[in-house]
Amino acid sequence: MARLGGYAGFYLEIDLSSMSIAKKELPYSWARDFLGGSGFAAKVLWDRVKPGIDPFSPENLLVVALGPATGTFAHATGRWMIASKSPLTGIWGESHVGGHFGPELKYAGYDMIIIHGRSEKPVYLWIDDDYVELKDASHLWGKSTKETILTIQEEMGDPSIQVACIGPAGEKLVRYANVIADFYDAAGRTGMGAVMGSKRLKAIAVRGSKGVKPADPDAFYEAAKAMYEKATSGIWWEISEETLRRYGTPYLVDVLYEIGRLPTKNHWSGIFERAEAINGESLKKYRISKKSCFDCFIQCKMVHHIKAGSYKCTLAGGPEYEGLVALGSNLLIDDLEAIIHANQLCNEYGLDVISTGKVIGWVMECFEKSLLTKEDTGGIEFRWGDSSLLAEIIQKIANRDGFGDLLAEGALRASKAIGRGTERYVIHVKGLEASAQDGRAHKSIGLAHAVNVRGADHLRGLCTYDELPWATKFAYERFGEEEAKKMVIDDRLDPRGKGYLTWVTENFYAVVDSIITCKYGAMWPMIYYYEDFAPLLGALTGVPEHGDPRELARIGERICVLRRCFNIREGLSRKEDTLPERMLKEPMPAGPAKGQVVELDTMLDEYYAYRGCDLETGLPKGEKLRELGLSDVAMELEKMGKLM
Amino acid sequence: MGKSYNYAVKAMSSRVPMILIVDPERCTGCRICEVVCSFAHYREFNPRRARITVLRDPERGVNLPMVCQQCEEAPCITTCPTGATYREEETGPVLIDYEKCIGCKTCIAVCPFGGNSLDYVTHKPIKCDLCDGDPECVKYCVEKAIEFVPVTVFNVIKKKRSLEKITRLIELVLPRIP
Repeated sequence: MARLGGYAGFYLEIDLSSMSIAKKELPYSWARDFLGGSGFAAKVLWDRVKPGIDPFSPENLLVVALGPATGTFAHATGRWMIASKSPLTGIWGESHVGGHFGPELKYAGYDMIIIHGRSEKPVYLWIDDDYVELKDASHLWGKSTKETILTIQEEMGDPSIQVACIGPAGEKLVRYANVIADFYDAAGRTGMGAVMGSKRLKAIAVRGSKGVKPADPDAFYEAAKAMYEKATSGIWWEISEETLRRYGTPYLVDVLYEIGRLPTKNHWSGIFERAEAINGESLKKYRISKKSCFDCFIQCKMVHHIKAGSYKCTLAGGPEYEGLVALGSNLLIDDLEAIIHANQLCNEYGLDVISTGKVIGWVMECFEKSLLTKEDTGGIEFRWGDSSLLAEIIQKIANRDGFGDLLAEGALRASKAIGRGTERYVIHVKGLEASAQDGRAHKSIGLAHAVNVRGADHLRGLCTYDELPWATKFAYERFGEEEAKKMVIDDRLDPRGKGYLTWVTENFYAVVDSIITCKYGAMWPMIYYYEDFAPLLGALTGVPEHGDPRELARIGERICVLRRCFNIREGLSRKEDTLPERMLKEPMPAGPAKGQVVELDTMLDEYYAYRGCDLETGLPKGEKLRELGLSDVAMELEKMGKLM
Repeated sequence: MGKSYNYAVKAMSSRVPMILIVDPERCTGCRICEVVCSFAHYREFNPRRARITVLRDPERGVNLPMVCQQCEEAPCITTCPTGATYREEETGPVLIDYEKCIGCKTCIAVCPFGGNSLDYVTHKPIKCDLCDGDPECVKYCVEKAIEFVPVTVFNVIKKKRSLEKITRLIELVLPRIP
């Protein structure tokens, strides 16, 4: 392959069963058609993960992927991603995370690591430019994420080494265990840490010293400078200063309380009366410093410290907005110190904060409804608002101890094991516990949760234009007034046009997830769009398709469709593109969205029409796949009878 | 964003040397300075070839950008065995002449700050050359943690910042006084 700009040009293929390591060239067509990150993962997992395999089996693949922009001077190029077949949902699993690990891997000279097999004993992967070794990790097994990072840095004698690792939760195969890098950067959701644990891979440690070279250095630098100037001046800077830069994501607590979309009491309501106790301003009192991911223009990571009281000496990264909801409002907990502490415990054990909190919320509701009792939980009483049980239950889940063993399976599996009607109170899509949005108060996110390839989660398709009244003007500028009006962008409670909106948003985020840059800059504030990324990527990679906004949008669509096909091949159809009964049938009890439910079917029909899916079954149409250059995918699905 | 002071840079620089000052209280460790520094010198993005390095304690969120302080009595000049390290003119930055540099790394060893770095590719020392009087790192520091100022007002700025801090404290205390 002619050397492309931006990309390192190579990837690592690691077989843990035979302990073999190979360095391979990145094919040009992968870069051209799938861009990077999420796109690479989609290509590799589609090609090489056979349908129906157990996610914990050695055949499952773990892909760590970077984008062409990783490690360069463009907005937030510290992002990296990890993907696999998810042990929590049995379908497409992917996780994106910031920090400094991704760029280090790029500087070591790799765009991707593909890991398969299972090691006999615990190992960690050590990458020092061209020197790659699988090292013994017996002494690290059982250690927290923090201890693991510090131990590796110490024994290698270099504190600048970047480490991504799992904690005890990943080792114990908790199905929503995550991967942690740089102490607090969590690759959460869908249990990527558990996949690492099943392969007995404790950590990946990297040091790199190779430069990243753009195809056209001057043009790239100019484009990146333009992005910097756009983000750090005018309205965009004002927005950042008032929101993310001042409070980090916790600023959202107030915003979403206002529009009645702050999940409360296991997503029963969108209004938490004591929201003030857990908002950005309250959290600020515990802040000791602010830190930033690599090459970010916004910078929203806060470090907190609790000086006194029951949680004395807690040094914690986060909680972010999702943590404040999952461990706070959703459990009716307003004890901020307990939330900070519990969130940090999740970081150290390597647990996904959202799933952990939502699993506890489900148990609390089942307790309230007397579907579960102390006999089921090993004597623990789950009462709404009781913050004292958080630490204990998190430890039990991470160690699969007692009742925690059942909760470690995820809310859906646990409810199926128990039965007794507890399934009704699991707030999930496709087995993934819902993140902190509520479609009843914001219709497009209802649809985005339902069709998201990884389950009930906002990061593949949450649209922010229709979220806040004053953000609609940006939609007019971006899409044109006529187009924006067709999407009824000024009414978040109107389901009309939201199918198209979600389709557009998903395609764009797929590109963002492959570049890879941060949603903060693309989602909120919505500083950049295709027109900003095209000149940047064109100059960076030198691939003509990357320099054309329309081609970029097509790449985004291709990635979305391929990821969806991965799920179709695993047996999913329209009936899984749905929402919990609570969102569909129980009207929102309070707040600005009072009385609302999600009118999912109409939005879903509209979405399918754009996505190129059959309305009745949700299966993809061969025509759409071929149009996107995915004929091989069409052929395979056709053989399985899954093509329309 | 912290306040930045608008000096008559050009006018001053003819008379007074300009230096880079760093403020660890403001630095968030984004490392944009490393990224643009390596590009300015090598046209590639590679923090391990940057002449400014952010020492990070990610656990506590403490960051210290390390860069040459252009010392008046520079130990790297006095100890250089081949005379490769020198000061440009009387008031300019300390530079390395690579025709003379043998890569002994003495300058790295004697620098009391760790201001000099090692180029991971050539294994020779590298140090800040102030980008010919227009440092790239300063332009993109979001938090204004690095500033390029006349050496004579360096201390004035520090004093002004202390004043700002005390003012903030007074504002905090005042409302409580009945």
